[in-house]
Amino acid sequence: MDMLLNQYYLQIAVFVMVNAILGVSIYLTLSTGQLSLGNAGFMSIGAYTCAILTVKAGFPVYLAIPIGGIAASLMSIIIGFPALRLTGIYLAIATLGFGEVVRVIVLNLKITNGALGISGIPTLGTKISKMLSSFGLPQKFGGLSVQQTSTLLVLLILVLILVFLVFFCVRLNRSRVGRAFAAIKADESAAEAMGINTTYYKLLAFALGALIAGIAGGLSAHLTFFIGPKDFAYHRTVEILLYAVLGGSDLVFGPIVGALILTLLPELLRSASNYRLMIYGALLVTMMAFRPQGLISEETVRFWKSKLGRGSK
Amino acid sequence: MTNINLSIIKHKHNKDGVFVTMKKGFIKKWVTGLTIGALLLTTAGCGGGGTAPAANNDSKGEAAKIGVIAYLTGGGAAYGTAIKEGLDLAKDEINAQGKVQIELIYTDSRGEKTEAINAANKLINKDNVVGIIGPTLSGEMFAAGPIANQAGVPIMGTSTTAEGIPALGDFVFRNALPEFLAVPQAVEKAISTYDLKKVAVMYSNNNDWAVSGYKTIESTLKKNGVEIIATETFADKDTDYSAQLTKIASLKPDAVMVSSLYQEAALVLKKAREIGITVPFVGTNGFNSPELIKIAGPAADGAIVASPWFPGKADEKVQKFIADYKAKYNNKVPDQFAAQAYDALYLYASALEQAGTTTDRQKLRDAIATIKDFQGVTGKFAFDENREPVMNATVLIIKDGQFTELK
Amino acid sequence: MFWQQLVNGLTLGSTYSLVALGYTLIMGVLNIINMAHGEIFMIGAFVGLYLVTYFEVNIFVAMAGAMVTSALLGCLMETVALRPLRRKAVSHLAPLISTIGVAIFLESLALNLFGPQSQAFPTELAAVQMQLGPIRISLVQIIILGMSFGLMFVLRFWLSKTRVGKAIRTTAENIETANLLGINTNKIIFLTVALASGLGGIAGVLVGLSFNAVEPTMGLSMGLKGLAVLILGGMGNITGAMLGGLILGIAEVFTVAYGASSYRDAVAFGMIILILFIRPQGLFGKRQGGRF
Repeated sequence: MDMLLNQYYLQIAVFVMVNAILGVSIYLTLSTGQLSLGNAGFMSIGAYTCAILTVKAGFPVYLAIPIGGIAASLMSIIIGFPALRLTGIYLAIATLGFGEVVRVIVLNLKITNGALGISGIPTLGTKISKMLSSFGLPQKFGGLSVQQTSTLLVLLILVLILVFLVFFCVRLNRSRVGRAFAAIKADESAAEAMGINTTYYKLLAFALGALIAGIAGGLSAHLTFFIGPKDFAYHRTVEILLYAVLGGSDLVFGPIVGALILTLLPELLRSASNYRLMIYGALLVTMMAFRPQGLISEETVRFWKSKLGRGSK
Repeated sequence: MTNINLSIIKHKHNKDGVFVTMKKGFIKKWVTGLTIGALLLTTAGCGGGGTAPAANNDSKGEAAKIGVIAYLTGGGAAYGTAIKEGLDLAKDEINAQGKVQIELIYTDSRGEKTEAINAANKLINKDNVVGIIGPTLSGEMFAAGPIANQAGVPIMGTSTTAEGIPALGDFVFRNALPEFLAVPQAVEKAISTYDLKKVAVMYSNNNDWAVSGYKTIESTLKKNGVEIIATETFADKDTDYSAQLTKIASLKPDAVMVSSLYQEAALVLKKAREIGITVPFVGTNGFNSPELIKIAGPAADGAIVASPWFPGKADEKVQKFIADYKAKYNNKVPDQFAAQAYDALYLYASALEQAGTTTDRQKLRDAIATIKDFQGVTGKFAFDENREPVMNATVLIIKDGQFTELK
Repeated sequence: MFWQQLVNGLTLGSTYSLVALGYTLIMGVLNIINMAHGEIFMIGAFVGLYLVTYFEVNIFVAMAGAMVTSALLGCLMETVALRPLRRKAVSHLAPLISTIGVAIFLESLALNLFGPQSQAFPTELAAVQMQLGPIRISLVQIIILGMSFGLMFVLRFWLSKTRVGKAIRTTAENIETANLLGINTNKIIFLTVALASGLGGIAGVLVGLSFNAVEPTMGLSMGLKGLAVLILGGMGNITGAMLGGLILGIAEVFTVAYGASSYRDAVAFGMIILILFIRPQGLFGKRQGGRF
């Protein structure tokens, strides 16, 4: 147990959670069959808005993170209106371009401090540990140091956010909106012929994805002390895309599993880090060739369900 | 047409129907999955932890474990490699001398801050190191420094020159001469030597370190009343500088000041000489590398830089270091990344010796903080009360493909 | 300065055009964006560099070598990453993702094989300068300009006049129909990918020569620029790729010359976002109908 509560593992678990939240964000955009390569851009809008609010304007973190998400979401609506007229590849390229433009703007603005980034961001962990010690909590609490307790609490908050998002997505799937998403994904022109306002629903999915990416950005800013433009470059977009490609984008659990695997794997394979990106690249190609629906699809779930169900009886 | 549409709807309803019924099984499956995952993690943890001795076990004879976070793979691997080479050489020498034994544990940060955070956490909590050297980039240090500081582990950057690094906390050190100390020296020397009135400035604007260098150049020029007639930017890994340099050439500056890594600096120099800009170039730390001369060739002549590391120094220690380094690494001349890393490990060794421990992080930190009159290959060295290095830089100029002192 | 900057813009632009030609060929025939084109271009540059450095061959031999290697690499990519997808009915995004995979693989491979440092051609070709009135131009710049325009005309002629060219155009129109007409479409696709990649290889050597730097990440930045040109000029449009590249090059250089150099990298994507909203078919594209 002591080993499991090692700060190192806790920190990795925290990153797994943030990446899983990013996985949910790409899942939402993909649920209408849109490929957005701008998630890193939205993430950076969320992260910077949030960091500037807390560091420079003194906003409390719990307010700043949702505001960051909303800022990313608003931005996505502005560029989404014209961009969503574009389909498929065009949208992917337009959002990729958007991400690049955001990066260059962040590099040039004074308030974002250019390439130097924003450092000294108060982390959730330190905030919580300060709170804990102000409550008069002793240095050791149930065998845990204050640092461990606060990281555990941060983890708990992230898990709650993720559970909420998953719950939201599962509910969404069974709502009118979710069915419209699925219809658009299956065949956009058929959906339109049926009277579904495809632009509205596509924009909605796009904005929701951006909102969650923005929140993930805000969270990550408050977990790493420092953000810079390099954190949100093209490679980050590819990583987020990989979560969905590996895990599968049929179900919300797909990208989450993808994020889990792809965050843990590099830590386990530290010695092979030279070849990590090569493995990622090969993984993308193989997945597309052999299992384009990802590891977890509705069929997999059905298969395992029937198998496990039979086994337990 | 309608038929097709209907079939889609029907299909969807079917899917959703399945979904409702399988919800319960789903949760069960996930709980099982998570449990298995947790179990796996625990076993992995035990496996890793079994070999690590407890942190407070004060045993003198054992080798002191020092963690290294370096940029070993990816775009900036050249810097991490130089650092590793410098450290390995120092480690072999220190261990052979036998006053203290040092074991180095390398982790790769790939130049990314989340990797640097994970690496720092791994070194501190899993490998139980007594101190850390690295990370390579200032941006990584801004993320990893606070982690080490919170955990009470001394961390020393050997190449992190941006402003504000030791301010991260009491356990954060650096032996890299910060830009705001080195750059003004070079700029002011150039102003007085060449009587500069108007200059152009270029810098890489997506590199935190280069931007910090640029800001220092700008403020030094303003202080000395030199006019800046153009400020042009480029990005790391850019290859085409003709537009910026054509513009600068048309303004006829007395000198050009460049803040960037050596690769970009070399290409800028080459292009500038090609289109006929012959004025002196003053650079930040990026100019201070034999690679610059290697890539730029004769175009590098006339480049000026201030550096604590000067391979041409007639110092016994420096020459021995260069000879040993050349012997070990295939006749490669050490650059400042290697030299500063080499010194950093010696700093740790002397602090460990003074503290008389190989595991006590607090004692080690206190010993490092009191280091004075340390003689390294980068000159005489001490830490001031803010844990900033106190060291001297030499202003160098490249002449006939060699760094020589600018007098 | 204006004329000199115009020449700078044209040279930069013609390298973009060369890269975009490869994109456009594959887009035209296979209707996919080959995200790995930039990396194939980079490998071509390295092959050329190593041929010149270690085998001390003539620069034109090096170019041929780079072309052949890149073409083979393109064929390998077609076999491994693209053909399996064509057999299955998968989302139109699948080839895009698959080629992103190839791109990441190749970039990382190059980093491991060649190291991260930028390397330069040992030739003194770039140093040969000419003064034409107010303009100073290097021999390499002239070669690049000449070669890109030359290649464009050859390509256009070849596509419209020769038997194979006609087969490619037929395949581009409609693969099924081309099959029915007795064209071996698999062979044609192979040929197109090889041709596009080979062009990328040549472009790699030329760009490496003119900027005197070859390094593993050059593929990404150049590839993204080529992509921008593809959209700017209109997908699958050779003239569009050519002129789009020149426009982008000039726009970038003039942003530096008369605006702020720090916004240079936003020009390409700012332009394509604009073009996508105003004229999604690109500057020179037709809304419907034949490609090329």
